[in-house]
Amino acid sequence: MGIMQQVADGISVAGILVIIALGLGITFGVMKIINMAHGELIMIGAYVTYLVCTEGKMPFVLGMIVSFLVTALVGLLLERFVLRRLYGRPLETLLATFGISLFLQQLIRMLFGPDGKSVVSPFQGVLMIGEVAAPYFRLFIVAIAIVMVLTTAYVMHKTKFGIQLRSVSQNRDMCECLGINTSKVDAYTFGFGAGLAGLAGSILAPIKSVSPTMGLDYLIDSFMVVVLGGVGSLMGTLFGSAAMGESNQLLTTFMGETGAKIVVFLLIILVIRFKPEGLFRMERR
Amino acid sequence: MLLKRLGINETFAALALVFLAVFPMFASEFRVELMGKFIVFILFAFSLNLIWGYTGLLSLGHAVFFGLGGYVLALSYSLQDGVPSFMARFNIEEIPLLMRPLLSTPLALLLGLLIPALLAGLIGYFVFKSRVSGVYFSIITLALAKLFEMLIVNMQAYTGGFNGLMGLPRFPVGGEPMDLVPYYYLVLAVTAAAFLFTRWLTHSHFGKVIKSIREDESRIRFLSYNPANYKIFVFAVSGLLAGLAGMLYVPMNGFISPQDSGIAMSTSLVIWLAIGGRGTLMGPIVGVLIVNWLSNLLSEQYPTLWQLILGGVMVLIVLYLPGGIYGAVESWWKDRGLRKKYAAKEDQEGEAVLYKESEVL
Repeated sequence: MGIMQQVADGISVAGILVIIALGLGITFGVMKIINMAHGELIMIGAYVTYLVCTEGKMPFVLGMIVSFLVTALVGLLLERFVLRRLYGRPLETLLATFGISLFLQQLIRMLFGPDGKSVVSPFQGVLMIGEVAAPYFRLFIVAIAIVMVLTTAYVMHKTKFGIQLRSVSQNRDMCECLGINTSKVDAYTFGFGAGLAGLAGSILAPIKSVSPTMGLDYLIDSFMVVVLGGVGSLMGTLFGSAAMGESNQLLTTFMGETGAKIVVFLLIILVIRFKPEGLFRMERR
Repeated sequence: MLLKRLGINETFAALALVFLAVFPMFASEFRVELMGKFIVFILFAFSLNLIWGYTGLLSLGHAVFFGLGGYVLALSYSLQDGVPSFMARFNIEEIPLLMRPLLSTPLALLLGLLIPALLAGLIGYFVFKSRVSGVYFSIITLALAKLFEMLIVNMQAYTGGFNGLMGLPRFPVGGEPMDLVPYYYLVLAVTAAAFLFTRWLTHSHFGKVIKSIREDESRIRFLSYNPANYKIFVFAVSGLLAGLAGMLYVPMNGFISPQDSGIAMSTSLVIWLAIGGRGTLMGPIVGVLIVNWLSNLLSEQYPTLWQLILGGVMVLIVLYLPGGIYGAVESWWKDRGLRKKYAAKEDQEGEAVLYKESEVL
């Protein structure tokens, strides 16, 4: 395989990383909530898509929408009954969401069994650009990633909700004085982040096996992306995904999957040591 | 009476020790082996308690150090009779150079302690020196656990791969492997020593510093301590203890597999300690014994339900019982002492109060 093919594959891996890390970029990056159940929210999204598209034989787009709504609802419930009591206590939040992730994993295993499920890809066929093969579904993923980033950027910067969300994350007390219902903003923000995770699961369902334990890898990867790119910046998440996707893909050709993962891990430890604010952190103010 | 003179931790520790010491006299061999494993887990929980309970840094990949210790010893056993079969299958004709030191058992025992400690120290150096929050540490250790498991499965020629290493004997003393019951007492003695070590360390000046790091790191920095160095040291000691637990586990269990050194084991450990009570001396003992006993009782009949309950209990513990079971008992006991003191003050005047007070304290 040519190097161009690897680069192209790397772009689609980066697209996947953007999609899975975007929700975490909001809950962890902006709200500073450590959500260990992020991977399980992705998994729930994938299962919902399985139910809608494979069992219910509905179109894929419907699966995406329903996944977003269902996981957003799960997120709202989590925020309301668990996370809200733990704001400002990161270690407790981490532990509680860890428990939630175990709970959700087991719940899904009880409901659907331990075996992997499959969802049929809505796009078949491959586009050839010169020597480089680009399956339509991979192109779709990259396109979706771009759309998701743009939409999130629009929501965060142009809507009233986004402006409130960013101001609450900067100065909660002042926002309360100005009459913003901060707990409502918290709830909706977490719901939005959770919904994005569900959407990610929905998009990944056709290319990955849908199983109860699928969440863990996504959790680790998305945290890595957010750390690499810089906590709290959307562009950071984008660049972090690109850097991680490409390096993972290119290194895999030379040293196998495990080798590549180890090198990327070491790289991230180095980043934490020498550039803890992330590689692509934009200067604020 | 005993409770007052010894203090609550010491009383419970003594009771637990007596219980564990007489256990082999009444139980079947199967039960003794099981309880022996639990004692190893208690030692393992002590190691996490140092870094999580006392220093406030949750390691989600502690089984890596456990597994490193275990694999060092297991490899050392396997290499004793020349090239083991799992290596021969990959056409490795002589023992790899890097594994030569493991041929000597004392050296292997030493390496089983040093390698985990060194790895922990290195990771600690990179993560703690740059003052990032504890969350980074948790994620990095989680990724480490995932990676280590993958690595062991992948390097099948050197580690036995997915199936792990099997048929491992107990510590050979004078050529013969130890019997179960003497080995059980050896494990118990080491764990008791680790308990005393934890008690000594956390009551010392050093222990006060790490506890203050947990409570408020910037304040301790103002007092001209360097929290990073303390954290690195505690994590290295914690890694060493975990390696020790791994080495004791291998002969008791008879085999070691990648599952023992990856995510699953790390997760179980966190659950034991969270339920038992992190940051308390007896928490690891209470947590390991209760959760494992219940797990043995329930997981055969209701394996899936059990996992569901564990996850739910974790959430409830965090919300309503942050100190775990033993933390609740301990704080009840302390409050009780105080309540008595104030009650006495209201009841009587003069010397009687002083007398009562000195008795309570």
